[in-house]
Amino acid sequence: MNRFNLNKYKKVLLLTFLIAAEAAAFPGDLISIKDRSGNPIPHAVVHIGKDSVFAVSREGAFEIPPQLGPNQWVEITALGYDSRLIQVKELHLVTTLNLQEKIGQLGEVVVSATRTDRSVENLPMPVTIIGRKQIQETGGMRLSEVLREQTGLQVVGNHGSGLQMQGLSSDYILILLDGEPLIGRTAGTFDLDRISVSNIERIEVLRGPSSAIYGSEAMAGVINIITKNSQKKVTATLESRYRSFNTLDVSGEVGLNKEDWNLYAFFNRFSTDGFDLTPGEPGKTQSPYQANTAQIKLGRKMNKWDLKVYGRFYSENSDNIMQVVDGTTRQLVDMTGDRLELNLNPTVSFRPNENWLLTMRSMSSVFETNTLMEFQEDRKVLDEQDFRQNYHRTELQVDHQLDSKQLLTIGMGHLAETVSATRYDDDNRFDAGYIFLQHQWDPTGKWNIVTGVRGDLHSQYGERLSPKISGMYAFSDSFSWQMSLGAGFKAPDFRQLLLNFNNAAAGYYVFGANMVQAGIERLQAQGLVQQLLLDPTQFGQLQAESSQAINTGFRWKISKDLLFQGNFFQNNISNLIETAPVARLASGQNAFSYFNIANVITRGAELDWTYRITDDLQLSFGYMLLDARDLDVMDRISNGEIFRRDSQNRTQRVNRSDYGGLFNRSRHSGNIKISYKEPYSGINVALRGIYRGRFGFGDINGNLILDDPAEYAKGLTSWNLTLNKSLQNGILVEVGGFNLTNQTNIYDPTNPGTMLFLGAKLPLHQVLHSN
Amino acid sequence: MNKMNGLLTGLLGLTIFTNCETNDDDQPEIILDAVTVENIHAPNDVIDRATGEVTEVRPFRYFSLEKNELVESQGGNWDVGFKGTTIIVNSGTSGSGSARAAVVSGIFDELDEVPASASFVSDGSGGMAIPTGSGNGWYNYNSSTRVISPIPGRILLFKTNGGNYAKVEILSYYQNNPPLAEVSSGTTPGAFYTFRYILQPDGSKNF
Repeated sequence: MNRFNLNKYKKVLLLTFLIAAEAAAFPGDLISIKDRSGNPIPHAVVHIGKDSVFAVSREGAFEIPPQLGPNQWVEITALGYDSRLIQVKELHLVTTLNLQEKIGQLGEVVVSATRTDRSVENLPMPVTIIGRKQIQETGGMRLSEVLREQTGLQVVGNHGSGLQMQGLSSDYILILLDGEPLIGRTAGTFDLDRISVSNIERIEVLRGPSSAIYGSEAMAGVINIITKNSQKKVTATLESRYRSFNTLDVSGEVGLNKEDWNLYAFFNRFSTDGFDLTPGEPGKTQSPYQANTAQIKLGRKMNKWDLKVYGRFYSENSDNIMQVVDGTTRQLVDMTGDRLELNLNPTVSFRPNENWLLTMRSMSSVFETNTLMEFQEDRKVLDEQDFRQNYHRTELQVDHQLDSKQLLTIGMGHLAETVSATRYDDDNRFDAGYIFLQHQWDPTGKWNIVTGVRGDLHSQYGERLSPKISGMYAFSDSFSWQMSLGAGFKAPDFRQLLLNFNNAAAGYYVFGANMVQAGIERLQAQGLVQQLLLDPTQFGQLQAESSQAINTGFRWKISKDLLFQGNFFQNNISNLIETAPVARLASGQNAFSYFNIANVITRGAELDWTYRITDDLQLSFGYMLLDARDLDVMDRISNGEIFRRDSQNRTQRVNRSDYGGLFNRSRHSGNIKISYKEPYSGINVALRGIYRGRFGFGDINGNLILDDPAEYAKGLTSWNLTLNKSLQNGILVEVGGFNLTNQTNIYDPTNPGTMLFLGAKLPLHQVLHSN
Repeated sequence: MNKMNGLLTGLLGLTIFTNCETNDDDQPEIILDAVTVENIHAPNDVIDRATGEVTEVRPFRYFSLEKNELVESQGGNWDVGFKGTTIIVNSGTSGSGSARAAVVSGIFDELDEVPASASFVSDGSGGMAIPTGSGNGWYNYNSSTRVISPIPGRILLFKTNGGNYAKVEILSYYQNNPPLAEVSSGTTPGAFYTFRYILQPDGSKNF
């Protein structure tokens, strides 16, 4: 089997059958290939002997060829399914053959890991696929609700719902939409609530640094969101869910396929009243907001050419109130916020022959936010902030199949970014060029190796070289071990480079690395600087944050219904950027800038068990162990330089064993999931228990590190249940709830407590057709 | 008003011993007990949030470490003054006295002498004896919870106007010295200094 399908579909040998003389062999018997739910598998392939291979019809059926002996073996294969071997004499006894899906999505094709199609099973790096069925079973509306149920992924509230992977925060996780990077971060966080799930076909979760093909940001891993395509001639679906907190989600989609054209259009409207974890205080924990998402995908497939244009639009507006305390006076402030995002992504692929594939793609994005805070009393403006980012990337990728065992990928691209914001000076522009190389090699059936390297040349932070090597060895059909070594980096963000901020009330200044020289000179000229705390030659020397990581683990198919997967990882991250004072001011306050200061290590294990007890009942467990710590803090503790306060506020020395690592990381987390199809009623039941262990929420005892039991938020388990049933004409109805035992924690602002929902999906094309 | 728990037994004992005992070799070790001073209320100037301009200037609260009492005016015999998060010493730009201060790291109870490395300075235009700003001197400011917390392990050393050394540990910036876990910036009254100190009245550097 071709592992890295440059030719996406297997070479199909269509045999012509000349004679049907011997009627005894029952030629002409029609056998349907179906999955366990009874849906035809149109991409199944029939193998007879060594040379005879042919595809089934579009309806998923084939005729038994004549002249086959009764003891002749026939093998049916299909991507994503366990293959099936059967003798001709048995084949004559049936009209339908069912194939079983590979357990744990092992058969799924992954794009993001190598930028070529490759099945999970054969990837030498840890990848998880979240399929449509699982997304549906979650009953979620926004991406955060789907991702938080996955082993090893946490959703952390910090300027939006940000993802955490392998102990690294949202800043270090690249989010792709159909393979192209999404922009728009607030304080480093990519807010997952910006993404509606109704048009998502599947999600690829790639763990470990992938800067070797994606460059900056892909330090902890990559999330690739793959949206739906129109598969059938005409589809039109309406879908809606309503849940607690007056939250309504309505989607509509239309798909058309005509000759070589296809079109898919999607619209989603989301609105919520928000929720409040601190009812005693003014304002809500989550602001009420409304969001609209629209997407259009247009494609044309011709013989050697494949053209696509994808467009996406997102708008959001929110409002909230907060209280400003100034001494003894308390004033209420109205806050409103808007966000707007636009993406346009055309792609052209050309396949001159089966050994070459050329792809030219570009992504143009705009991201805008503005927030306004006004005192309720006199409408005086407390703060107003605008932000606008333009991003444009053009890329050429060439895939060349050197021979049946080697696939070479070469890519190069250019990106340009501009940014303007209230707290930045003027317009700012960055340019970068890059080139990447990747070699995929399957020396034998047991081994495979993927090597890659990427070079980035950036107008801001200079050159970077990011190598990665991954290999897998299959000890047997059921057990394989993989290992991946890679380097990752993250370029300084806009804030770290461009910020020019003065907190008038508190009297301090913060300058981005590009601004600090001029900023300090200006303050000196004004006579405001009392003492420089750093040599000015160090100003503006901001490097990219970088990491070196190892991921190693196994896939063990204990039986065809029992899969055990594990991954062990360690990320050594250096040059982490933090603020540090650069000058002491006459006012007694400081001026700050950004510097490469901290070194952090994160390591742990991600384990997943999947057990298919029967076709209708599946059970899975996931567990993650995480240890994330600041190495400089460790050194300072060893040197006896860190202290803390007891309950009478007296000083004690901190011991190594007191140190709990980085804030907001749970040492233990896990999940249990049961998926059951009740055979009589046809109701699907999906029950999930999602555990997030205790985590440090912030410093209490004054030493800024996590070392005191009072600094931990308690762990909790969220029990989520979804029931759904498909009716005859394709209508799906569902009901369910999140966090049924109502466990909340004021330190997790993304968890509102119990939410109940009901929903329905109406495939108009089927309903109208059947009437 | 401020309540002061002056437990000066050590100090009294010292007086008694110096009076009755003349043989230095047999002099028993003198144990100095720490004095805890509670709730010196020292609110900061009133600042217009939008412009950063001071709209109402408030006075410093002056304190004598020698006498363990507040001093009414800047002209009095005080050693240390408080206003908001700023701590001044009576010398240089802050006063006409000769008090000096140094900041060192360590555990209050373990610090049994003034380290040789401690450099006692006056307040000046080049910087305050106890540096101001979060993380520099005696406190950290948490911008998300807006809580001021005394940096654990920071000990303030003073040389008083009277020439004696004292070690001071700021315990709390909030009223009635609550555990930090119970402090909420919105509801706990701030700018209430609680600290403990030991003054060595014999002029030596030992505590």
